[in-house]
Amino acid sequence: MAKYISKMGGTFDEAKDIFQDALVIYYEKTVTTAFELHSNEQAYLLGISKHLWAKKFRGNINHTPLDDNQMDFVEEDDLQPSTNKLMHYLETAGQKCMEMLKAFYYDNLSANKITELFGYSGVRSATVQKYKCMEKVRETIKQRSLAYEDFVE
Amino acid sequence: MNEIKLIDGHIFNSNPTEDALLFDALLLLNPELPGQIIWQKKTHAAIQQYSRKKLRAEIEAVHQQLFNVTEHQSFKQRILSLFSKQ
Repeated sequence: MAKYISKMGGTFDEAKDIFQDALVIYYEKTVTTAFELHSNEQAYLLGISKHLWAKKFRGNINHTPLDDNQMDFVEEDDLQPSTNKLMHYLETAGQKCMEMLKAFYYDNLSANKITELFGYSGVRSATVQKYKCMEKVRETIKQRSLAYEDFVE
Repeated sequence: MNEIKLIDGHIFNSNPTEDALLFDALLLLNPELPGQIIWQKKTHAAIQQYSRKKLRAEIEAVHQQLFNVTEHQSFKQRILSLFSKQ
């Protein structure tokens, strides 16, 4: 992959960013149940990297044969402009809940595994906690987004 | 809690038929529900953003180890040499 980016005129730092993004995409694909890898991991990572390179630095994805549905690297712009403040808050005050929600929704871990990891008494209490956290974080985002909007205005 | 669960089912299109029907009825009865759906979608976007940041930090830690620990020097040199010829 580094050889490819180098050949295309990219720098070490660009190769590093592309590779790390490719790893994130690969991870997200592997934790979704529908994903089946039809080639080896290295070939898949190289394919994603080539696609990302074309997308970011060439603005031309015609030469990359990867399916578009493998490339749904979801845009992170579905939040308010003041995301940094909000994210900082969630990383500090809301970290416990965010870690749990990450385990459920992002890492796609089973309720049994989450119960074990977070030390809950049973699956039921882990599930209840998940919804409580969801409600708490949703309310935080709502309140803070509205407050930041007021501040900006 | 039930509302959160139903909204999740709506967002991920995973509600069983009876819950989907119930949700449609609630949408008509509860004028605040559409707003809650939007906030819940934003919450999922925030969870994704938070999680990606954490994952990237883990990947970066591995990168630092590969490029800064003496025992991986040959790997580091092999990669850097690809870029020194430019």
